[in-house]
Amino acid sequence: MAQRAVWLISHEPGTPLCGIVRFSRRYPTVEKRAKVFNGASYVPIPEDGPFLKSLLFELRLLDEDKDFTESRDSCSRINKTSIYGLPVGGEELWPVVAFLKNGIIYACVPLVEQTLSPRPPLISISAISQGFELLFGVQDFLYSGQKNDTELNTKLSQLPDLLLQACPFGTLLDANLQNSLDSINFASVTHPQKQPAWKAGTYKGKPQVSISITEKVKSMQYDKQDIADTWQVVGTVTCKCDLEGIMPNVTISLSLPTNGSPLQDILVHPCVTSLDSAILTSSSIDAMDDSAFSGPYKFPFSPPLESFNLCYYTSQVPVPPILGFYQMKEEEVQLKIMVNLKLHESVKNNFEFCEAHIPFYNRGPITQVEYKVSFGQLEVFREKSLLIWIIGQKFPKSMEISLSATITFGAKNHAKQPFDHICIGGTAYLKLHFRILDYTLTGCYADQHSVQVFASGKPKISTHRKLISSEYYIWNSKAPAPVTYGSLLLLRLLFSADLQAAPDCR
Amino acid sequence: MGPLSRETWAQRLGAFRASPSAFMAGPEGEDLGRDLLSDLRSEKLSEQTKVSLLALSLEYPAELWPDTPAAEAAVTSLLDTLDLLPPRSSALRRPLLLAATTALVAGGALGPTSGASLRLLPLLLGLASGRALGQGIGPSSEQRPLQATACECLRELESCKPGLLGGYLGLLRGLLGQGGPVGPVQPLSLLLALALRNTLAIQARARASLQGLLTARVSPTGGGPWNWTLAEEGDAHLQPQVSPWLASEEEECGLSALEPSPEEALELRAAVAQLLDTSYLLTPVAQAQLLWQLGWALRGLRGQLPVLFKPQLVRLLGTAQLTLLHAVLALKAAFGEALFTAQDEALLLHRLILAAQHPALPLPAHLFYLHCLLSFPENCPLGPTGEEALPLLLEPQLCCGLLPSLLLDPMALLARLHLLCLLCAEDEEKEEKGQGQSPRRYLEELLASLWQRAALHGGPRALATLCFQASYLVAHCLAGQPTVLRPLIRGLAHLYRARPVLAPHFVDLLDQVGSELGEPLRVVLQQEVVSRPGGDEALGWHLQMLAKVADRDAQSATLSFLQAAAVHCTNWGLQQALLQVCRALLRAGVGGGLADLLQALARQLEDPDGRDHARLYYILLSHLSAPKLGVALGPSLVVPALASSLVAENQGFAATLMVQEAPAPIQLSVGARRAEGPVPVLQLQVEVLEPVYSLELRFRVEGQLYAPLGAVHVPCLCPGRPARPLLLPLQPRRPAPTQLDIRALYTTTTGLTCYAHLPPLPVNFADLFLPFPQPPEGATLGFFEELWESCLPKGTESRLWCPLGPQGLEDLVSRHLEPFVVVAQPPTSYHIAIRLPPDSRLLLRLEKAQAEGVPVVLRTDDWSVLPLVGDYLRGLATAV
Repeated sequence: MAQRAVWLISHEPGTPLCGIVRFSRRYPTVEKRAKVFNGASYVPIPEDGPFLKSLLFELRLLDEDKDFTESRDSCSRINKTSIYGLPVGGEELWPVVAFLKNGIIYACVPLVEQTLSPRPPLISISAISQGFELLFGVQDFLYSGQKNDTELNTKLSQLPDLLLQACPFGTLLDANLQNSLDSINFASVTHPQKQPAWKAGTYKGKPQVSISITEKVKSMQYDKQDIADTWQVVGTVTCKCDLEGIMPNVTISLSLPTNGSPLQDILVHPCVTSLDSAILTSSSIDAMDDSAFSGPYKFPFSPPLESFNLCYYTSQVPVPPILGFYQMKEEEVQLKIMVNLKLHESVKNNFEFCEAHIPFYNRGPITQVEYKVSFGQLEVFREKSLLIWIIGQKFPKSMEISLSATITFGAKNHAKQPFDHICIGGTAYLKLHFRILDYTLTGCYADQHSVQVFASGKPKISTHRKLISSEYYIWNSKAPAPVTYGSLLLLRLLFSADLQAAPDCR
Repeated sequence: MGPLSRETWAQRLGAFRASPSAFMAGPEGEDLGRDLLSDLRSEKLSEQTKVSLLALSLEYPAELWPDTPAAEAAVTSLLDTLDLLPPRSSALRRPLLLAATTALVAGGALGPTSGASLRLLPLLLGLASGRALGQGIGPSSEQRPLQATACECLRELESCKPGLLGGYLGLLRGLLGQGGPVGPVQPLSLLLALALRNTLAIQARARASLQGLLTARVSPTGGGPWNWTLAEEGDAHLQPQVSPWLASEEEECGLSALEPSPEEALELRAAVAQLLDTSYLLTPVAQAQLLWQLGWALRGLRGQLPVLFKPQLVRLLGTAQLTLLHAVLALKAAFGEALFTAQDEALLLHRLILAAQHPALPLPAHLFYLHCLLSFPENCPLGPTGEEALPLLLEPQLCCGLLPSLLLDPMALLARLHLLCLLCAEDEEKEEKGQGQSPRRYLEELLASLWQRAALHGGPRALATLCFQASYLVAHCLAGQPTVLRPLIRGLAHLYRARPVLAPHFVDLLDQVGSELGEPLRVVLQQEVVSRPGGDEALGWHLQMLAKVADRDAQSATLSFLQAAAVHCTNWGLQQALLQVCRALLRAGVGGGLADLLQALARQLEDPDGRDHARLYYILLSHLSAPKLGVALGPSLVVPALASSLVAENQGFAATLMVQEAPAPIQLSVGARRAEGPVPVLQLQVEVLEPVYSLELRFRVEGQLYAPLGAVHVPCLCPGRPARPLLLPLQPRRPAPTQLDIRALYTTTTGLTCYAHLPPLPVNFADLFLPFPQPPEGATLGFFEELWESCLPKGTESRLWCPLGPQGLEDLVSRHLEPFVVVAQPPTSYHIAIRLPPDSRLLLRLEKAQAEGVPVVLRTDDWSVLPLVGDYLRGLATAV
């Protein structure tokens, strides 16, 4: 269950090595066990230099991918998980858990408590999930509230001490590094005996509970006969409970209005002590019916000190908040586009902002635009080949707005204009960015009165809601567009006739 | 040297970390460990610097103190440093304990004879139980973190030396206590779980009972010696873990050997329940560790223990934590139906499908869950274990959200494509009934989009790689489905037409896939290339492609393409590529037109190297038979495929066209003597270990003793098939024995010509004996006397004693001298006449035999043979 070594590497394309090891930590006692467990198949942990080189090559992060290289590009070298075998000194170091996020590569080598040949299935290696959790924990620590490189560097410099606390011998004690940091600070406080390990100390002060529900809505709209549009809501409920006592008990109930969309696919924070089986079984992968559980969704828990995500959910609302179409046609040297957007009447027409981004990939810079908007204004970013239609805070009374434009492009310059491997030819999209405060698409809310707190003092309870867009795409209906299986399947359910359903992707 | 400053240490540590091996090899390497230990006590360095020194020792103890005595001394020094710390609060105590533990384990010093171990262990146990030894270490505010650290140190020691804490299980249980724990719950729980697991395993292997280990309350401060009983038992050493996924039924009996008494079973149950009840106080990762440990500990143990996990499951299934869900899967694998009913199994599977696509989880977690889904530990598995497959309960409609789409990250796309392929494979029968939007149809469309993306001019290599990986995956999973392969081939051909620059990917794909896809794809690509005009700008790629796909089919089209292309091959690289195609055609056995082409190339190519190659190929083509040519141009047997093609080619020729020296698969021996005819003839028996063709045996005699010997030819020899003896006529210039030096030249089944030096064969003196022509009946005595007289005076006479073995004279003569006897009066006298080529004679009179020998009178006309005759006669008795 232990890790043999951990690395953080910043990916720096353009530099000679393409990366720098920012942090590394080895665990010699675990290495000692690896030698015994792995026997003849044991491969020692390399020094940082060779590891960096090998990992970047494997992750295709070296600059030199111009030519076909069999050891990297061969079609039979298929990685289906973030777990790699790295060639090191003529042998292969496996398993190496590694992923790139925000320019940093997180990597570790979990201990396998068996021989490595034949390779045991990943699922049987307990240290794999522990390794992932360690790396996720480091990532959360580095990026929570971090705004610039200086802060990142400060946090990186804290890592050695933190890991000494959270992972002294390679076996992870707490993936929440912030908690470890707190426990260093709380160290002098005498602890009560039943103190949970995930709570560094106890809160002293005015009791208050804050609950915020953030819903993100995703959509793929095609405006085509043979492909169904899809949309999905993903909700996150974040809590911060400032309550006195070692383990105060709190129950939060999420409710839906009568016409609300049931919550599905609910994942809860480990501090939730019990779950109704209806919550556990309501999922989007089963066929929906009217008997779907529609709440209230009760979550009894004992909160940690810090702000945490009490639960995540998804939901299938009956209509997308904004329905639109996008038509793009190429006419000699010009592109003609037409966009129409319609806000659904049930949606709160009060945006913090609302914009439509219309990018043009694999073309030259915009040289000329003639346009007409029924509402809002259009900004043109010539070099980026991008149009941004700023819709503003409200849709007009008709709830429907449109844009038409004729665009001319200059000569293509690969280095400057954006390349995209999906938007080929007529394949194009526009992406909506919007945010509505104090609103959820599912209608989901946390009623202040339904929050039960079993702790001394009556806490002040505050609740917040917001809806934001995420991956909200409207595809050009005059050309092929990437589809998901769901788009095709939904259609089959709607029209049981044997359709020649297929977007023309050729 | 005095203590180093903070800056010096920072520099030194930086240099060390940059490359530990280089630093240790340098001048400062040797002193680093010693300096570090002494500077930990320096008053000039800040605590922070000292912590960084200790951090280094935590990572590189083996470099600092490379052997056991050094490690032992280092631990002692670290413990001394700990004792010397002033009683106020200090940031050094924790890292000192960690460093001492690390050094002890890494240096291999942990054991009952190590003084440092005997100091560290009671100290840790004392701290862990909240009652520090003697005067106690550190202020009371530090006790709790130190208690946790001591538990962690003990857990690490127990991990590396199972059974170390076996004698202290009762104590640890007491610390977790019914009336509330006496220490931090998490470190104590984890320590107890690990010690419990190790103890159960050791006792089961030793077929011993638990012997009250669960209840024995040993006082940690009693000062008694450490209890090494369990850790030092024969079976207690660290062993590779048998994972619940891989264990077969028999292996599981490990724990079933342990049959706890009813009281022990009750105690065990209580201990496990105690651990699980407080598990929610542990961090999620620690909860997962606890579950894995307990799962391992109890697997195979009889009784109702798995049920204890049940109350935890609902809580665990609701979370999104990777470690927790993974631990639940481990419990599933360990206990199967004992813990999970069919409904539970279905629920777990649903949660897994959900987790594998939940938008709130990160991609690496999705991918790992997808792997777990395809390796799901089923209650009733059907397929072979170890390979990814669809679980039985996973109905296709549940997977809709898990199917690939173009918008995914490449790794996710491939993982989901694999799932789609598995669905297609399963769906094959239903397909035939033609049901609307099928997974197969979706697969086709997805592949088409991938090809379209890869065909994008100037697109990144990663896109092409992804497209070929996907094609390979489909071909690999659905090799038996022509309905899938046909569009796959068509699509790939289109892709090649659009972007010949991907030729290396095609070559790689053809190398990797089986013949189901490989052969038809080869044919299509060949057509694709040869149907083009020769002067295409992608000519280099076409030639590279053709070198892979050219074969005997479509010869004329291929040759005319090459002829057209030759004009455009103006640089060395293109010419080499062109010649590579010719080479491939040569190998494939294309004749006629190719000879013309090669001749033309040998004249027309600009580059002399190209012309030479063309000429060489032409010569090979016109001089070698097809099989030989195939071998000559085949992949080299000598050089690994890594070397450049030219080197490989040269080596290939060298191997095939030159004669190879090889260990001989041939054994020669001398058969029975013939003693007839005009010259002596050796009968050679030959045996082979492998088939040998066109064998030529060459014989040579040192010096001028014999006339040169002719070679012996054998067309074919096979092992196990009896061969006729080979006759080797000898032409001695003097009657003298010698040795034959033998070389064999032959062809192997693979067409290589080999050369072997065989062990020399002796030609004995007796091998040269020939009889005189038989005189007429009745004149024998006179004939002999005439010969006898004729030897003198030129020759010589001698008398010898020929020892007789047990057989007697008659037997000796009949066995060795029979063909040469002229006059015989058994058993009293024999007159023997031997002709020694080229023109000597040897006459023997054997007189009446006495008890141990027979007197021999001999005459010869050749003085030089006398010593040989003497040796010969004296050796007869012992000769077989």
